[in-house]
Amino acid sequence: MKQDQSKKSDNIQQAKTSVSPVREDSKVAYKKRIGVYVCHCGGNISDYVDVEKVRQVVENEEGVFLAKTTMFACADSNQKEMVEDIVTQKLDGVVVASCSPKLHLLTFRAVTERAGLNKYNYVHANIREQVSWAHSDNKQGATEKAIRIVRSAIAKVRRSQALEPIKVEAVRTVAVIGAGVAGMKAAVKLAKSGVLVYLIEREFFVGGRVAQWDNLCISDETGKELITRLYDDILSHKNITLFTGAEVVEKSGSIGNFSLKVKITPRYIRMQCNKGELQKAIDVCPVEVPDKFNFNITKRKAIYHNYPGEYPQLPAIDIENCTRCGECEKVCSSIDFNQKPEYLDIRAGSILLATGFDPYEPKKGEFGYGEIDNVVTLPQFKRIVHYCNGDKLQFKGRNIHNIAYIYCVGSRQVNGENKYCSRYCCTSNIYTAIDAKKRFKDINNFHFNRGIRTYGKQEILYDESSRLGDIYLQSFEDNPPEVKVVDGKTVVSINDILTQDKKLEVEADLVVLVTGMVPRKDNSIGNLLKVPRGRDKFFNEIHMKLRPVETVIDGITIAGAGQGPKNIVESMTSALAAATKSFTIVASGELALEPTIAKVSKDDCEWCGKCDDACPYDAFTPKEIDGKTVAVVNKSVCKGCGMCLPVCPSNAIQLTGLSDDEVESMIDALMEN
Amino acid sequence: MSEHKKILEYDVLVIGGGIAGGECSLNLANLGFKVLLVEKDLTIGGKMIMLSKVFPTLDCSACITTPKVSEIARHPNITIFTGSEAVKVTKLAEHNFEAVVIKQPRYVNVEDCTGCQLCEEACPVSVSDQYQYGLVGRKAAYIPCSIASPRAAAIDIDNCTLCGACERVCPTNCIDFTQTEEEYLVKVKSVVVATGFNLFDPLKIPRYGYGKFKNVITSMQMERQLAPTRPYNTILRPGDGKMPDNIAYVLCTGSRDKSIGNPICSQVCCMYSIKQAQLLMGALPMADVTIYYLHIRAFGKGFNEFYAQARGMGVEFIKGKIGKITEKENGNLLLRYEDIEEGKVKEAEHDMVVLSVGLLANSEVSESFTNKELELDQFNFVQQTDMLANPSKTSIDGVFVAGTASAPMDIPDSILSGGAASAQTISYLKQVTEK
Ligand SMILES: Cc1cc2nc3c(=O)[nH]c(=O)nc-3n(C[C@H](O)[C@H](O)[C@H](O)COP(=O)(O)OP(=O)(O)OC[C@H]3O[C@@H](n4cnc5c(N)ncnc54)[C@H](O)[C@@H]3O)c2cc1C
Ligand SMILES: Cc1cc2nc3c(=O)[nH]c(=O)nc-3n(C[C@H](O)[C@H](O)[C@H](O)COP(=O)(O)OP(=O)(O)OC[C@H]3O[C@@H](n4cnc5c(N)ncnc54)[C@H](O)[C@@H]3O)c2cc1C
Ligand code: SF4
Ligand code: SF4
Ligand code: SF4
Repeated sequence: MKQDQSKKSDNIQQAKTSVSPVREDSKVAYKKRIGVYVCHCGGNISDYVDVEKVRQVVENEEGVFLAKTTMFACADSNQKEMVEDIVTQKLDGVVVASCSPKLHLLTFRAVTERAGLNKYNYVHANIREQVSWAHSDNKQGATEKAIRIVRSAIAKVRRSQALEPIKVEAVRTVAVIGAGVAGMKAAVKLAKSGVLVYLIEREFFVGGRVAQWDNLCISDETGKELITRLYDDILSHKNITLFTGAEVVEKSGSIGNFSLKVKITPRYIRMQCNKGELQKAIDVCPVEVPDKFNFNITKRKAIYHNYPGEYPQLPAIDIENCTRCGECEKVCSSIDFNQKPEYLDIRAGSILLATGFDPYEPKKGEFGYGEIDNVVTLPQFKRIVHYCNGDKLQFKGRNIHNIAYIYCVGSRQVNGENKYCSRYCCTSNIYTAIDAKKRFKDINNFHFNRGIRTYGKQEILYDESSRLGDIYLQSFEDNPPEVKVVDGKTVVSINDILTQDKKLEVEADLVVLVTGMVPRKDNSIGNLLKVPRGRDKFFNEIHMKLRPVETVIDGITIAGAGQGPKNIVESMTSALAAATKSFTIVASGELALEPTIAKVSKDDCEWCGKCDDACPYDAFTPKEIDGKTVAVVNKSVCKGCGMCLPVCPSNAIQLTGLSDDEVESMIDALMEN
Repeated sequence: MSEHKKILEYDVLVIGGGIAGGECSLNLANLGFKVLLVEKDLTIGGKMIMLSKVFPTLDCSACITTPKVSEIARHPNITIFTGSEAVKVTKLAEHNFEAVVIKQPRYVNVEDCTGCQLCEEACPVSVSDQYQYGLVGRKAAYIPCSIASPRAAAIDIDNCTLCGACERVCPTNCIDFTQTEEEYLVKVKSVVVATGFNLFDPLKIPRYGYGKFKNVITSMQMERQLAPTRPYNTILRPGDGKMPDNIAYVLCTGSRDKSIGNPICSQVCCMYSIKQAQLLMGALPMADVTIYYLHIRAFGKGFNEFYAQARGMGVEFIKGKIGKITEKENGNLLLRYEDIEEGKVKEAEHDMVVLSVGLLANSEVSESFTNKELELDQFNFVQQTDMLANPSKTSIDGVFVAGTASAPMDIPDSILSGGAASAQTISYLKQVTEK
């Protein structure tokens, strides 16, 4: 594609003077009237790149009909101007040199579309992330690099073709994974909007963590009451199918049409059961194991429920711990050990992931945990408070008066991996401490904190606790308090920065470790759905500021504490937002997908399966066509990532919109001097 | 006021075109609902469009807001009224609201204005520019800001001398002094309140010297100085145009302070101050930045890491309460503060002070609801009547709240809240079709 330089500028001169289409010159292989817009991005680009120079140089590129600079290419006013240019100047190829295509590729495609030009005749050149921000120390070099990048975009747009989106059916069903408060709320909202919902919960009971908390801040409602309300809503909706003891074990397909295989673990108890007999069965079961629901502070039987009146109101048998002694069967006719795991295949247009969090489990010896018997975690403390009746707070038979709370356990770690703050815990702990003080006699609260983070309206709780006489002692991250046993007494000590670093000690009857939130230990669902996780290991949204519930996997949204620590209001809010996004995907029953995907030439393909191995999305299947096996691309699965291209030994695969010809011309343009 | 009101019909009336109202409108419009977005200001985008970069990603705020704003502006299902207010909202029955919307005259035909700014050049009147938070001036004929949507001129009639200079230079003759207030009667099925927040006015704390000492500015003014569309193209002390090299931040200005009637924490000012400190270190590599704080609320995703990053960059954090600020002859400022760690009262000199002002409720819209009360909470934010289970629900069925109208929050939380409000609005609207 080397061209005589003078010839080129002649062409341009001609183009500039006459408005009619000029490219009669037969030497020019691609006749396009290209518009190029070089963006200042306020100063984000122009502070480090001479955008006027870029404009001047590319103005003379073959095919370029007009080249402009603009303060903000994305601003409404410039978009208007571009539309006008495309229409009045009959442009049929457009390049904007600005920020990352992640931000604005779609914006400018939409501009060309509004001007009546097929949007695949738009090519984006990134001269901000790739140029100005990367080379802020070298304006000249940055400018040269920008010129090359814009040239290569021009080379591509010269070859661009009109493409039509691929239309696929969107199944008007959403699979919600996890029936904590977030998943339940999202399911109800989706059902009310008029789509079918599968609500898939791994445990035998719904409600997630909130079922484990009694009194909730900031509300007069208990966890149980809130779950009851949500569960009633679920039952009242014929659009929702709830599976408990259920886990997604296989996934295929993509946005609009996911196929999921759901494994349903049996309860070993018949749906039509006799409640009285079941209670007897629980009573006679000889097996006792630590009760996870109560964070192991109590024991439960192998046939169990979490708490009286939970949902669904049907116990389950924990088959891993059951000894098959048969005692329960003797007193209860509803037991059925012949139940087998079931596998269901379901289809959904979108998946809403709401699998929540795990409380941080302190290491043995961390602030005495597991070694000193009156050191517990906040989740355990909440259950202890729950189980204490009367006006005395007791633990292991002892009366509790002095409680020392140690904050940020498992969060804001200096040496550990968890650098983040868990957001909910300052407030939840202060709330629980106030609750304990109000309910029980002679409670003294000592808060060993690293700077209290009761953000927003939660501040009033902090204020209230101070007014109630709670004592706050503070240290920095790198100098945490210590827990020791001195003469049989548990003592917490701190260098308190609120009293000039004085070493202060408190003899505590109970030490509560205010443990943070961590991602679910078992990330099998995340791996199965290929939802990426951030540096904090929680599920990652596609854009932290603007798109907090969408993921890079099209069609999969995230909600609740699985995305990052959240309290209930925040979990609910994100669940509703995610429900809206999932609903938008499936609402119309049809989706338009990117046509920029892999295309296999039947003639060249000699099915070897290499593309199938390379494809991260399982888009290839072998198929008999005209007596020969060739690779066929599933159009709604292929993302056009290009992983298959280099591995194909017979070069039978091309990417639509990124053909070899296009890519080579771009490379040539980058190398050109 | 014109006698015969124009009658309009939509599915949803969204009041307030900040990021929360915008997100909510887009969600509804994408699902086919017709939305009227009423914005008091001359541009949509709210406070976000005026910010520099955003914590903790340091994305350029203009760059991420403008596409959103232009998506809203050109959506076929969204009608935008800027310079307008819903002065009266009446609930006649479920799914049946009536609102009186008044559109103030802009004295410019928005459709014809090309944003060429010739009127700005011609206009002889200079006044303080509210879009640059008073840092510089603007004309009486002006375009609100370069990234405004619509990007069209407006005449500030209160300051205009009616000299006619703008009219004479306008190439498209779009200036029209005969425009008058227009009144519309809007019938909708549901209403979303997304009227955002007010910034705390630091004149209420005279001991900080704001308004008296020129080099004491607010964080919003610093946002403007740091923004790509900044007025000076660099950071300057307003007092003498000198580049500052020792800047102090006073956190919790107007928050967590019962003496000025706002006991709660504003949730974003710690983080935006840490953000600005980082940006300042980039813009003025030699400058020292000190943040005076009580507690650092770095609670959200990536926040604590962002705070650690600032400390790593050399931003100084002092746990201290500011007593009083005084000015020296050279314009520098003396901060008297209680150093909490050392338990001593100390004094420090800085050449510029930024007051990290809090987010207060903007509740005036509640007065527009006539026959049913739009309840406010004890801090004057719109009351979330079923906070845990239905966070957008208000005291009036069919009226939902989004964004900082209900509580202080940052941009992602405002977007989530806008998303939640749209979800609840949709299911409320679906009740009609079910009937
Ligand atoms: C000690 C403590 C006290 C708290 N107190 C309060 C309070 O007072 N007020 C407040 O607002 N917030 C409080 N919180 C926060 C609150 O618990 C969370 O906001 C809330 O639980 C988040 O809900 P979720 O639905 O996102 O997650 P979860 O509650 O964790 O629910 C997730 C659900 O998904 C299920 N699941 C997980 N993996 C799978 C899978 N692979 N397949 C299917 N299902 C799966 C789980 O079994 C669970 O049912 C507290 C948190 C803690 C730790
Ligand atoms: C100095 C500063 C820096 C910040 N930096 C960041 C940051 O880096 N990252 C971050 O996440 N957040 C930041 N924030 C917070 C961010 O500004 C808010 O989260 C966000 O703007 C809230 O959006 P909103 O739509 O709720 O409210 P607003 O932005 O206030 O929008 C409300 C809109 O409603 C309009 N309105 C008000 N009343 C009426 C009425 N009666 N009728 C019609 N319209 C009306 C207003 O004109 C406005 O356009 C910062 C805030 C400040 C003050
Ligand atoms: S919320 Fe409070 S206790 Fe929890 S990690 Fe953050 S600072 Fe620590
Ligand atoms: S008529 Fe008013 S707005 Fe126009 S130029 Fe004169 S003073 Fe300025
Ligand atoms: S966010 Fe920080 S500066 Fe703002 S009120 Fe809360 S504690 Fe004070």
